[in-house]
Amino acid sequence: MPALRPLRLLVTALVATLLALTTVTPAVAYAPVGIVHTEQVQAGPYAVTVGFSTWPMRAMRSLDITFMPSGGTAGKSGIVGVGVPGMRGGQQLVSRLARHPRKRDTWGLDTKAFDKSGSYSFRFVIDGPQGRGEGVLRDLTVLDQPGPPLPLSWTLACLPLLGLVALVAVAWRRTRPGRPDRLAALLHG
Amino acid sequence: MDSAAFPVAVAPAAPARTAARTGAWLVLLGTAVTTVGVSWDIQWHVEVGPDSFFTLPHLLLYLGSALSGLASLTMVLLATSAQRAGRPWPRSAGGPPVRVLGGAFHAPLGYLVAGAGAASFLLYGLMDLWWHSIYGFDAVLDTPSHVALFLSICVTMVGGVVAFAAGGDQGWARAGILVGVPILILFAPTPFNALDGLPPAVNPTAVGSVLCAPTLLLMGALLLRRGGALGIALVLGAMQALLWWFSPWAAKAYAAAVGLPLREGLVPRAPQLPASVPVLLVAAALVIEAGWWLRGRAGGTTTPLLLAVGAVSGIVVGASLSLQLDLASPARHLPVAQVAAPVLLGIPLGLLAGYLGPRLAAMLRTPIAREEY
Repeated sequence: MPALRPLRLLVTALVATLLALTTVTPAVAYAPVGIVHTEQVQAGPYAVTVGFSTWPMRAMRSLDITFMPSGGTAGKSGIVGVGVPGMRGGQQLVSRLARHPRKRDTWGLDTKAFDKSGSYSFRFVIDGPQGRGEGVLRDLTVLDQPGPPLPLSWTLACLPLLGLVALVAVAWRRTRPGRPDRLAALLHG
Repeated sequence: MDSAAFPVAVAPAAPARTAARTGAWLVLLGTAVTTVGVSWDIQWHVEVGPDSFFTLPHLLLYLGSALSGLASLTMVLLATSAQRAGRPWPRSAGGPPVRVLGGAFHAPLGYLVAGAGAASFLLYGLMDLWWHSIYGFDAVLDTPSHVALFLSICVTMVGGVVAFAAGGDQGWARAGILVGVPILILFAPTPFNALDGLPPAVNPTAVGSVLCAPTLLLMGALLLRRGGALGIALVLGAMQALLWWFSPWAAKAYAAAVGLPLREGLVPRAPQLPASVPVLLVAAALVIEAGWWLRGRAGGTTTPLLLAVGAVSGIVVGASLSLQLDLASPARHLPVAQVAAPVLLGIPLGLLAGYLGPRLAAMLRTPIAREEY
């Protein structure tokens, strides 16, 4: 039936899409963590090397950060607090030191982005064979965000919402859905 | 419902009827696949972490949009071809006609909207690629490109609902509403992540849920009439349960398959997307059904009833989310203001739902006066 030819085309296209997508091997090629800059901090008896996958850091740009204590992470545990500019009373976002998902021999934060530019700090508390040690890495400067101004990006992002609002507005004008008889008819169904 | 009040269409010819059903269900299937992909992807980032474009959850969510888009395009081509050959194309096959590109195409409204959403998803996929080239692989939901992708998915879902609503009281159309509206309720709060970080400090997806869930529930209930609200809430509950089980399981299974470990130090918490769905929506549905029953028994004016059931539904949804946020928070327990916010928001947003939901239903049930086929 001629009218149904596009349906056959649809089925063919769907099968082709399915084949193309399902025969792609699930990529195991996750980007390795490349450290391009390091800083040193002393946390009691432990020297900690802090590694950054991009440098200098910029607001909103995600990067991997690694924390490697001297002698490795085995037998050690601890927390890291991130001091954020503008947070009251030197408050910090604290998390347990956990192995980096793509660099398992170190602790770290993966695809971490800082929202604002300014001066950040990392405070470490590490427990290990040589007891507890504390140290702070200060004055980590995060520069302004790269890319276009955020209002422009958000304006572009909101276009589908504007389209939906326009659709509803046009349909509203044409159908007058608020008329009492329309609403009553919906309930009487 | 009085069919004279909402005439749907002339009886469709057999090929168009088949096409209408097939196209609408394929669009709906695409949105379901995308929703599963998004939930899986969020859970993957929470529990495993590493990202690349070619992950299975990404492929699933792109496959869903491709499916919806191709189905919509096919339906537009079918309608255009029928119009050029002088064959009637019923309004029940996708909605009222829209002339596109000066009449080069005659697109049923539902498929035009769904197709525009899918095309928009593709374009914003490119924007997302560009965004990641500047900002890296930020595994967060509230970037402009991610929010644009979520909005595009919502547009496709809306198109699907329009296509099913055009089918009026036919069984396939009612079944489509019964599945399509819950998917929209489940997904619509996701773009509200754009409000993350803005004052006041309330959970942005909770705000979205308190607005969208009662609005869409009322809309769907009025499209399906008696029992519709309850049916939608139960189907949504089943979807929520399925995603609640599937998303963490799939994240773990996929990680095991590609040899990646789970993140260290994970705090047990509910899967993010299904946990944002109000579990007490079934109570809101009972409120709506009770409202219809009272109206049938005692009569009364329509508008106050609709506003009242909207407001009560909003409060119920808000209370549900407050409870869920508190239970799901790893901090145990959240500040009082943060817990109370969804309930308080439930009153104004519920009233808004009582105003908007019925009007959206009336729009979907009202044929455009001008015949363009």
